[in-house]
Amino acid sequence: MFFAETLGEAPDASPEAADDIAVELAFEGEAPGVMYLRLTATAAREIAADFLGIEAAEISGTRVSEVVRELANMICGSVLSRVESAVVFRLGVPRIAASPGELPEASWHTPYCVQLSNGRITVDIVTGTNPCP
Amino acid sequence: MAYRVLIVDDSPAMRAFVRRVISMSGFEMSSCFEASNGGEALELLRSEWVDAILTDINMPEMDGPEFLRRLSEDELLRSIPAIVISTDSTSHRIASMTSLGARGYIAKPFLPETLRSELERTLGVPCD
Repeated sequence: MFFAETLGEAPDASPEAADDIAVELAFEGEAPGVMYLRLTATAAREIAADFLGIEAAEISGTRVSEVVRELANMICGSVLSRVESAVVFRLGVPRIAASPGELPEASWHTPYCVQLSNGRITVDIVTGTNPCP
Repeated sequence: MAYRVLIVDDSPAMRAFVRRVISMSGFEMSSCFEASNGGEALELLRSEWVDAILTDINMPEMDGPEFLRRLSEDELLRSIPAIVISTDSTSHRIASMTSLGARGYIAKPFLPETLRSELERTLGVPCD
């Protein structure tokens, strides 16, 4: 559905770059919490272009943000559907951080990092805190 | 035969993506309409007939469950098959949406062939 080639799990999360795109998505359920997603700028732009079927050079920042928010929804919903398959959960509205550094340091304490051919995606899910507003 | 499809989702990116995947799948679509929530979709259905509806669950103003409820209460519109597209693939949610009138359910992420087969199944299109 998203057309990105994965090269496997990256050994650990690299330091954030100023142009990384970070998203915060709160959820409610049996174990409420927050998912944090961070993409390198190139990965975000190319994933968004593939998703929409247009050239990466032609895509606007707004469209990249829309697709990254949708990507956050899909990752979080997919994980929760497997972990909380017997209960109802509710996803909040994905929020793009003004800068990657805006997200709390604690959000990256157990990250899962995947290397792509065109960049990197880092995901961290923290449960037991910050239910949806 | 080509079909008229309505996509209901508050994300413009997702609406564009679904439209693109329908085209990629080879499903025969003559017209594609879009609405950003259930209320907008009902308004559009006053003037445009469609053969199938693809709807999200979480939307502002009128969400998917309320939209399905309103469709099922409308004598004219209740015959249009509605398929839910959602990241939530829990059995509870699928059962809940089915009880409200959804005829199909597609969990995101999905493949073009999944979308096509679900559209064809709900529309009763004969297999090749």
